[in-house]
Amino acid sequence: MPVSQRRTLVRPPLGRKDAELPTSHLGRALTIKGILDTEGELHVQGNVLGQINADRLVIGAEGYVEGDVIARDVRIVGRVKGRIFAYQVTLDSSADITGRVFHHLATVEKGAKIDGRMPWRPLNFFESFEQPPEAQT
Amino acid sequence: MSVFTRNDSKDNTIRPTTTDKPEVSVTTTTPEFNRAPQPVQPVSHLTPVQAASTSVISKALKITGQLESTENIQIDGEIEGDVRGVHVKVGQNAKVKGSVYGDEVELSGTVDGKIEAKKVVLTSSAHMSGDVIHQDITIQSGAYIAGHCRPEFGKTQSQPVLSRPKEVLPRV
Repeated sequence: MPVSQRRTLVRPPLGRKDAELPTSHLGRALTIKGILDTEGELHVQGNVLGQINADRLVIGAEGYVEGDVIARDVRIVGRVKGRIFAYQVTLDSSADITGRVFHHLATVEKGAKIDGRMPWRPLNFFESFEQPPEAQT
Repeated sequence: MSVFTRNDSKDNTIRPTTTDKPEVSVTTTTPEFNRAPQPVQPVSHLTPVQAASTSVISKALKITGQLESTENIQIDGEIEGDVRGVHVKVGQNAKVKGSVYGDEVELSGTVDGKIEAKKVVLTSSAHMSGDVIHQDITIQSGAYIAGHCRPEFGKTQSQPVLSRPKEVLPRV
């Protein structure tokens, strides 16, 4: 699926069963520079420099993402430097965020480090989400 | 018919979770307004799967860019770019458009590019378009190769550099 044709971030992708979309794991020794695109679930323990498009995303304790993250449902245990666009966001106590977290439903555990803003956006912002706006300077 | 008479006790039969006091039953309903129109299934809890030794690029994942790992990589999805790992397994329906480097590369899917590894295994479903640079090669019957197989691994100076990139992305 091309990055430009992002579907809604409010509902899970239709017409696919989870069995058809096995979870991807990026181990801690893995570094990816580029764009990751999936309609399924993605677990990141390694480093990603670039953009992630996923339905469900977990950034593990050792995970580090630098760039834009676009997903329906995100759980962050590790570090993110960049922007997060997610309908539902969960920041664990060990999460370390530098940047902005655009969300509709957020859960922040005690201890999470957030250096930046957490702008709330209405449903329609996520309903027809295409590409993240250019980074503001 | 009075609105304010104490007939809210009927409500308690509808909502059995509420306590005896009718006042409480009113307040318990208020958080419902803040809820999303449809429940979302939560992200599965993070479990240390496979002790993070192998990275799995599932068939649902497409990556445009470079992959570098000091551990094993299993590819079942689609990759446009170079892959560097130790033991790289390209699954049956996987597609890689780019070079694959590793100590050991097992190909069952499609590679459009180059393979450079000490040990190369092309299984019967392998589809290889490009050169294979190896030291030790296994080709099963049925494998497709369009390219040269050269036993020059280690003789040319194009060993994978497994370093942590220190590039800075555009600020956010």
